[in-house]
Amino acid sequence: MIRRRFPWFSYLVVVTGAVLTVVPFLDMVMTSFKGPGESGTLPYRFLPEAFDLSNYRAAIDQLDLPVLFRNSVIATAVITGSVLLTSSLAGYALAKLRFPGRNFIFRLVLSTMMFPPFLFFIPHFLILVHWPLAGGNDLFGRGGAGLTVSITALAMPFLVNGFGIFLMRQFMVSIPDEVLEAARIDGAGEFAVWWRIVVPQTKPVMVTLGLLTFVDAWNEYIWALLVSTANPDVMTLPVGIQLLQDYVDPTRTMPIVMAGLVLSILPVLILFLLLQKYYIRGVMLSGLK
Amino acid sequence: MVNALAPETTERVHSPRATGSTVDGRRRTRPRRRQAVVAYLFLAPTLLFFAVFLVLPLGFALLLSMSRWAGFDLGEIDPVGLDNFTDLFVDGSTFLTPILTNTLLFALGTVALALTGSVLVANCIDKLRFQGLWRTLYFLPIVTTVVAIGNVWKYMYEPGGLVNGVLNALGLGSVAFLQDPDTALPSVVVVQAWASVGTAILILTAGLKSIPESYYEAAALDGAGPITVFWKITLPLLRPSLLFVCITQFLTGLQSFALIIVMTKGGPGDATNVAALEMYRQAFSYGDWGTASAAAFVLFVVVLVVTLVQLWIFRRKGEDT
Repeated sequence: MIRRRFPWFSYLVVVTGAVLTVVPFLDMVMTSFKGPGESGTLPYRFLPEAFDLSNYRAAIDQLDLPVLFRNSVIATAVITGSVLLTSSLAGYALAKLRFPGRNFIFRLVLSTMMFPPFLFFIPHFLILVHWPLAGGNDLFGRGGAGLTVSITALAMPFLVNGFGIFLMRQFMVSIPDEVLEAARIDGAGEFAVWWRIVVPQTKPVMVTLGLLTFVDAWNEYIWALLVSTANPDVMTLPVGIQLLQDYVDPTRTMPIVMAGLVLSILPVLILFLLLQKYYIRGVMLSGLK
Repeated sequence: MVNALAPETTERVHSPRATGSTVDGRRRTRPRRRQAVVAYLFLAPTLLFFAVFLVLPLGFALLLSMSRWAGFDLGEIDPVGLDNFTDLFVDGSTFLTPILTNTLLFALGTVALALTGSVLVANCIDKLRFQGLWRTLYFLPIVTTVVAIGNVWKYMYEPGGLVNGVLNALGLGSVAFLQDPDTALPSVVVVQAWASVGTAILILTAGLKSIPESYYEAAALDGAGPITVFWKITLPLLRPSLLFVCITQFLTGLQSFALIIVMTKGGPGDATNVAALEMYRQAFSYGDWGTASAAAFVLFVVVLVVTLVQLWIFRRKGEDT
């Protein structure tokens, strides 16, 4: 490309855009340090008067952050682990094993990606509420709160991911059959072939899929909100910070909320910055976000 | 959803049988049945999940969309035919206007803003150094929870917030962005576009990289200026990526409502109410599961039509080349 002159116009556009992208984050951080009477007043000031951490302490106490954090970690860990495991197992079967019905199941997996998530909020919620023999329900799903009493409800609808299976299968197809065949001749069962040969070879894809799943699960809002309304004990970070806003010290609501938000997005931001190569590849592959 | 239809993956989707026919012949001695049993063991968790969390819910939602139900006893679901659907479109119903109109405006506005911004930025990043660094910056909103994005922007839109602070500093009056029915929807659209520009930049950058350098060299030899090059070479050759970004963002826009819940809850009035949010409210605020499920299926049909159009466009494009 022509790079003779200094691309001042390009710099202008990219820097302006970058400032517009970063400023809301900076405003969030600055507000999180503002004292009572310092935020939401006229005229607007960008910088706080002092950088003290009292809002962060208040967020941890008043927003119940430790509990929210624990719930988020549990839900995210269960979802990520399950998606990785089931995607790898199913992907291996679809890529490398021959069995009747393989094409049909592969098409089924592809077709699951056609259904938009909003279609499932209602039936998933009702299915969990009326889950037989759980949370005080009888055999016909009547009388109790069903699975919504349990923290597993947060993870249930996300345990398997059609895109994950598709992704793993696409990568496993390129593993040479000769390698697997050699292991089978040496007496390895299919499970050993999968665990000792296929899993190690697909580690980079696993990192990509794991990261995508982790970020999605950590940031998930609507489903967690539904489950939390039925059972406030399982509130996750996004839900808790949104719902508990009304209960914090009203003279400095926004600074406390912003402090909570900063703490809640830190884990994902750090993980993204460390492993962004994998994450960006995942977004390219899914093209979705 | 749509991700399987990405241009770079379509080809592989259509050849699921690419593996192992020769190996298979050599392996006849090994009992095939055992491999089938193992395969179904490996697939068991997945198939079980899809039965309980895909097939069953779809059937249940379809049943609900044609029933009236208080939500307690599964034995008391009352079939009412297509009443829930006709109720949505009856005179005086808010579903068609403003809700469905809002949904389309929200999706179209997001696409228009995000596409313009990302084309401009992607094209400019391509001419700079430290491209990775810039893209990382633009990507920050993608990994940030909608609750953080929504609250920060809601706060920035307030009278004492950053946006009005800038307006006041420029000598302009304050605007009640989210409280005024005329500005509420555009204000939310800006945030949704802001949050999705990073992905669009990523996909467009990949598209830009695939344009052969020789085209630009030829244009330079002919003395074409940067604006001519952009309109005559970059944009036409970027068309597949542009189309892809356009349709995926449009589909996302049709379905998104988390940001709206956080920022306006659909208000003021119905000014920012969209179809997916209406479905959510009918179900979880009013307990009207039938109407909610019907609304969900209407939106699903809209989404499905757009998806099929996308599929058709990319199939046709594949045959051309």
